[in-house]
Amino acid sequence: MVEQSSASMAVAIEGVHKWYGDYHALRGVDLAVAPGERIVICGPSGSGKSTLIRCINQLEHHEQGVITVNGAVSRNEPKAARAVRREVGMVFQSFNLFPHLTVLENCMLGPMWVNRTPRAVAAETAMGLLERVRIPDQAHKYPGQLSGGQQQRVAIARALCMNPKVMLFDEPTSALDPEMVKEVLETMLRLAEDGTTMLVVTHEMGFARQAADRVIFMDQGQVLETAPPAEFFGAPRHPRTQAFLGQLIR
Amino acid sequence: MTAIDPMLETPRRVLRNSGAAWRRLFDSPLNVALSLLVLAAAAMAVPPLFKWAVLDAAFLPATPQTCQAHAGACWSFIVAKHSQILFGIYPLDERWRPAIVCVGLIGLLIYSVRPSSWRRGLLVAWLVMMVAAQVLMGGGIFGLTPVSTALWGGLPVTLILTVVAIGGGFPLAILLALARRSELPALRVLSTIFIETMRGLPLLSILFIASIMLPLLLPAALVPDKLVRALIALLLFAAAYMAEVVRGGLQAIPRGQYEAAAALGLGYWRTQQKVVLPQALNVSIPALTSTIIVMIKNTSLVLVVGLFDLISSGKSALADPTWRSPAIETYIFISAIYFVLCFGFGRFAESFERRNKVSR
Repeated sequence: MVEQSSASMAVAIEGVHKWYGDYHALRGVDLAVAPGERIVICGPSGSGKSTLIRCINQLEHHEQGVITVNGAVSRNEPKAARAVRREVGMVFQSFNLFPHLTVLENCMLGPMWVNRTPRAVAAETAMGLLERVRIPDQAHKYPGQLSGGQQQRVAIARALCMNPKVMLFDEPTSALDPEMVKEVLETMLRLAEDGTTMLVVTHEMGFARQAADRVIFMDQGQVLETAPPAEFFGAPRHPRTQAFLGQLIR
Repeated sequence: MTAIDPMLETPRRVLRNSGAAWRRLFDSPLNVALSLLVLAAAAMAVPPLFKWAVLDAAFLPATPQTCQAHAGACWSFIVAKHSQILFGIYPLDERWRPAIVCVGLIGLLIYSVRPSSWRRGLLVAWLVMMVAAQVLMGGGIFGLTPVSTALWGGLPVTLILTVVAIGGGFPLAILLALARRSELPALRVLSTIFIETMRGLPLLSILFIASIMLPLLLPAALVPDKLVRALIALLLFAAAYMAEVVRGGLQAIPRGQYEAAAALGLGYWRTQQKVVLPQALNVSIPALTSTIIVMIKNTSLVLVVGLFDLISSGKSALADPTWRSPAIETYIFISAIYFVLCFGFGRFAESFERRNKVSR
């Protein structure tokens, strides 16, 4: 039963623990994400939200529990990790574009060298996705010549070029100037409307309200509350969720 | 504003700038004093040098008598002995062979400088060139008279040593640098021991070990040729030094780059090849250039183990008693060759660096 249900899930996280030395960063996290579902994960800093989504594609390795992506087990072993990473796109807080490659080349690298897509096909796909994030005119510039918001949109396009089943966002707007947050959030909203499975770690509660199917509150390595946004913001149950939301200026 | 025609603008700007530069040489009492001092030194040094090197110098006919008739530089010696300086004691009738090798190596070096030529074919061309150099110099097939490496000398030896030590040492250096940063302790330890040993020993002693100790330790059948032993020693030595420069570049690459590559699903080697090394090597260019230039000049140390590089073949040319051994002229000639090699490489590295900067 459990096997079947986790196989039909886009992401299934069961009883995951993670330690950094003595520090217990994740304390038995369970989370099942259905295909097409949009999850926003929030919580105070150090609560383990980033660690959790980084365990999904094995940028961090969990010591206990099971994580599956479309039924494939994500574990600390090069082949298994790479198989999962092919299915999972990730967008980082600090963009992490490759500065020595043009925007277009950034987007073509994965398809060409992971999926062995021919150059012409990879370029066509990349241009299509750059149009989708609305910066096709910047395709031949280098990342250093773009604004932060533009860079983050390129990073989204780069991840999408691999045609991922799941998109992970690790605080995608935290390193951006306020006026650039909007353009990135709008891009993410369009993705959400297209039915992309998304796990988003963010402090942007407006995005959570508008796009999330479920909002998850984490604190001290545990999931304390899971609820649809209306319920999460309207009637939070857990006292720590209430305290956290009370601190946000909205 | 209309656009200014660049053809017109450039020379005017150069003129204006050079005018400003001249004014700056005399714009304060200190600058006036320094400028005058330099001018005075130049006035003292340049005319006698010009007199020696050109006015009083002996050129043609290239005989000892011409030199005796002139008080200045004895360039006749270089003209008469250039073949011996360039090719050492290589048999006279066969010197067209090393000459072809030199032309081929230099031609391929110049061709390799163009970024548009960097494709897989170039690597093949280099491998073919090295085999051709061995066949031409060594002979023994295609009806070519066999010439032992003990008779090889001069410019082809210097070029072969340089190309092999640096061309072979560079890929090895990258592997060593990656190994030293590896997550596998065994690789890390081995690479560290190798690099630290090579850097801890003087090149001279490594050359002596390769040329004198190795034949004592190994059975005769397994001992490679003396030139090959020196080549390997130079290659390993250059690799150890370049490895540390490359490692410095690797350390400049932020963790996020590895994570972004991993998140795309790239494996270790693809990540290094496509993401990490292009950036790390670009950071290392200035330090790498210095190291490589030092290594080019280090090839001259093979003379201590009895190989005839440019300097030792120049020395042996000087031994001819019919000439009054014009050592200064010979060393100026040899220095000029080294200078062209090293300066040329330095300019190449600079243009390469500038090209990469523009693209950012």
